Amino acid sequence: MKFRTAASITVVTLLALSAGCSGGSEPNTGDGKSFEFWSFTGINQKASVDEYRKTHPDVDVKLTEVGSSVETAQALTTALAGGKIPDLVLIQGDDLPKFVQQAQNFHDLREMGADKIKGDYLDWVIAQSSAKSGQLIGIPTDVGGMAMAYRTDLFRAAGLPTDRAAVSKLWPTWSAYIETGRKYTAKTGKPFVDNAATSVFYQAVNQGTEKYYDPQGTPVYATNPQVRQAFDYGLQAAQAGITAKQSSFTSGWNAGMNQGQFATIAAPSWMLNSIRTNAPSTKGKWDIATIPGSSGNWGGSYLAIPKNAKNAKAAWDYIAGTQSPQGQLEHFVTSGALPTTPSVYTDAKLTGFKDPFFSDAPTGTIYTNSLLGLKPFLIGPDSSAIGQEFLNAITNVEQGKGQPAQAWDAAVKNIKTAIGK
Amino acid sequence: MATLLDPVQSIHSAPARPVREGWGERIAPYVYIAPFFVIFGIFGLVPLLFTFYVALFDWNPIGEHVFVGLDNFRRLFDDPRFFGAVRNTLSIWVLSTVPQLIIALLVAHLLNHVRLRFAVLFRMSMLVPYITSVAATTIVFAQLFDRDYGMLNWLLSLVGVDPVDFVQSTWGSHLLIAAMVTWRWCGYTTLLYLASLQAVPREVYEAAAVDGAGGWQQFRHISVPSLRPVIVFTVVTSTIGGLQIFTEPLLLNPSAPLTCGPIRQCQTLTLFLYEQGFGQFQFGYGSAIGVALFVMVVVIAGINYLLSTRVRRER
Repeated sequence: MKFRTAASITVVTLLALSAGCSGGSEPNTGDGKSFEFWSFTGINQKASVDEYRKTHPDVDVKLTEVGSSVETAQALTTALAGGKIPDLVLIQGDDLPKFVQQAQNFHDLREMGADKIKGDYLDWVIAQSSAKSGQLIGIPTDVGGMAMAYRTDLFRAAGLPTDRAAVSKLWPTWSAYIETGRKYTAKTGKPFVDNAATSVFYQAVNQGTEKYYDPQGTPVYATNPQVRQAFDYGLQAAQAGITAKQSSFTSGWNAGMNQGQFATIAAPSWMLNSIRTNAPSTKGKWDIATIPGSSGNWGGSYLAIPKNAKNAKAAWDYIAGTQSPQGQLEHFVTSGALPTTPSVYTDAKLTGFKDPFFSDAPTGTIYTNSLLGLKPFLIGPDSSAIGQEFLNAITNVEQGKGQPAQAWDAAVKNIKTAIGK
Repeated sequence: MATLLDPVQSIHSAPARPVREGWGERIAPYVYIAPFFVIFGIFGLVPLLFTFYVALFDWNPIGEHVFVGLDNFRRLFDDPRFFGAVRNTLSIWVLSTVPQLIIALLVAHLLNHVRLRFAVLFRMSMLVPYITSVAATTIVFAQLFDRDYGMLNWLLSLVGVDPVDFVQSTWGSHLLIAAMVTWRWCGYTTLLYLASLQAVPREVYEAAAVDGAGGWQQFRHISVPSLRPVIVFTVVTSTIGGLQIFTEPLLLNPSAPLTCGPIRQCQTLTLFLYEQGFGQFQFGYGSAIGVALFVMVVVIAGINYLLSTRVRRER
């Protein structure tokens, strides 16, 4: 008797579990008035959601900040593989290629209305969320742009100009930037830049017309001269003795920023918030100049709708309602996220925007200028793994552990091990 | 007394009465312990077997699953990153387990001292590191050991030693992680030892003292031998735990979290598994690493078992 009861309980439990696992494939049964929205921390998506709630009081947006951008992408992967999926999800640009490669997991936004508004966005930004078949899986919410943040007080002490136009003229190229660093370090005995990997290599490699893959999707990281050139800039900076050897986002990096250990840091628009929160006491001591090479982009995010979302329509209404050029402009004014819609780049609200933390720098103009005229390059399935190995190789030289002469070959060998080609 | 005990004795001495056990009663004990095995089966055994299965595929969690046979394992044995991770894991395990058990043994011996004041306070405070979250511990330790702004390097600079870059160097990062693990688990192990030590009669120590045995001799000849079973137990548990160190290396180097630094200097096996599975979405290869880790733990636990049976026979 008891055995039979236990057995039947077991069977029922197993059935319930297997039913739970297959929940993802249920048909769309949403009510259209509420939807689940996964975002990541540090991007203040709550402000947009609150704004949307005001104009759409009947819609219930269930916003979850899953964790960091990487953690959110991992949670999405797990959910797509078999779990409870959100109706709308924010994906960071670096994580996007993995999902674009498996576009069958997402709605084709063209069919939901994106084909009409596609032209509002920067073509090379939206190209990154388009699959080979032409399917569009994400609408870009913001981009990073590129610029160089610098400490005016430290520049003055080193006898360098402090005016942002004059500082921008100091480094039209990366070689000139490294040369300026040499002068600064010779004069003050202090490091010029936080680290060579992110502030030099990572910027330079994202300024090219082709990166780790050719337009046909063949890996060319080992033979592309643009990659090699960016890598050499990184090595030169590492060997010049001008770096503080503080890897980005570490506790030493935070402390160094507070203490004025380094005078410059490559800063896409979202980095400004990191500086603001990490080093509040440095307010007014920073200014922003153009990046060597003058244009480029680092970062940005996309909104996507998973295929099996129950409330796909409500999610799309949210995208259409908040990501219009005017909506992105409003969001820039309130939170500093750079719009992906070039039509507002000449709007007075954007051009007239000044950031008091960075000596009233006109951030709207500086960053949008870095975005114009960029050409899209193909981002492949292993782009992030390849990039990480190159970064590691430069950091290794910077820390004095790797041999500069062998760094390139070692990096290429490590990439072959990692991605198998 | 005898009359009182009578009924009890009569039960025990009664001739074995054929108890008519029904089928249900015979099966009952198994039903009572079934919940554990059912839950273990669902959440332990099935995932384990499924891992073996996934290891035979090129498995993209949100894409295709292609059967590749033993290719993942062949790749694993050609992969220098795998052997690096094995080396790191073993090194961190030894560096954290050996000092931890020795310190715990000595501290337990001290805490067991008769004339110790505020004994309860000291014994309880040993557990404070254990109840602190690993993430908080890691952040604080990373700051203490920081190259430019860390307290430890500041102290070293006072005596004229150049700053040590703990996080970026291989040995430094292993020591740093081992220090965190030791700090966290020492108190727990100490309390286990202390509990066993308190079962040792005071008279034994007193007799030894009368015979002229000092503190060290008492420790060597009374405390250690009486702790043998629990030492074996802690060696086994800290081995299994030590081979699966994950959170500390993950949080140590935020600029390259999945590799624990630019040259994978402190990437443990579990972190390598996580990097391949959840960083690169190669579930098949990640599962193969999981299987390799499983084999390692089984082999090392087997060696532990052999050693522990030898210890038991010696007693």
